[in-house]
Amino acid sequence: MARLNDSGQWIVMMGFIVSIAIFLLALVVAESAIVGKTTSESVLEFPKTDIQDLRSELMTLTWEDLDKTNYQYDIVNLSLERKNAVVRYQLDQTGEVPILYIHYNNGITQYNEIYFED
Amino acid sequence: MNDSGQLYTIEGVAAAIMMVITAYLVISSASIFTPQEKHVAQMQLEQLGHDALVVMDTPRENGVQSNLSDAISSDKPEWFKANYSPLINTRTDGTQDTLNYSMSVFYWDSDTDSTKEIEFFNEWDYHRENAAKVTQWAYIESGTDRTAVLQDTIVLVEVLLWRD
Repeated sequence: MARLNDSGQWIVMMGFIVSIAIFLLALVVAESAIVGKTTSESVLEFPKTDIQDLRSELMTLTWEDLDKTNYQYDIVNLSLERKNAVVRYQLDQTGEVPILYIHYNNGITQYNEIYFED
Repeated sequence: MNDSGQLYTIEGVAAAIMMVITAYLVISSASIFTPQEKHVAQMQLEQLGHDALVVMDTPRENGVQSNLSDAISSDKPEWFKANYSPLINTRTDGTQDTLNYSMSVFYWDSDTDSTKEIEFFNEWDYHRENAAKVTQWAYIESGTDRTAVLQDTIVLVEVLLWRD
């Protein structure tokens, strides 16, 4: 029987090592792609600007104007129909200082705030 | 039986399996790049458009209407374009970017209890490009012409942004 020629074994071993290295690098590339996708998706999903806009609009109104029912209707109804967000705000003037309650909920993110001026 | 090539056979099979798995992983991970890039671009578009709207809704001084409220209450779409385009389409090298947009004003009609739309600025045709929608509240004291229905009311400004 002819003897097996084993003079090239280290070439075979290097082939194994290199292919395992490529395999691991491909895994890393696949992971990084998923991370970038979910990050930008969560930024898009979070209604940061919606809440900021609602607050800034309410803050530009004076305390007397806040209670006007036609402004309430505008903000509450447009939020629901155009942004799919339930918005409620209420001005409580029974205490020592007026308190503004803000509620925002778009089904994914809920935001509640009690605001008063010192 | 001549079995002197067994090592080469095993090596060949192992290498083939590894190459197939590696190629599959690389191709399948590369195909995720497309939606990822789309999301990042959309996120940037949304932030740019919203920032520009906030800038437009900021009055120049105390007690004065903002440029956004001014354009809507005077029913001047060209004022809106003249203010909004420089904010989103200016590049640092002096050339213009290619962002297109349309703008609508939504208001609550208390007579019919429904949301009404005024197609305020609609110069470019939208052909289903990848777009972002940004919104901004604005207070309108008294409108004219098309916006004459807006008297002492809060409206929702919606801008649809896309890259041409």
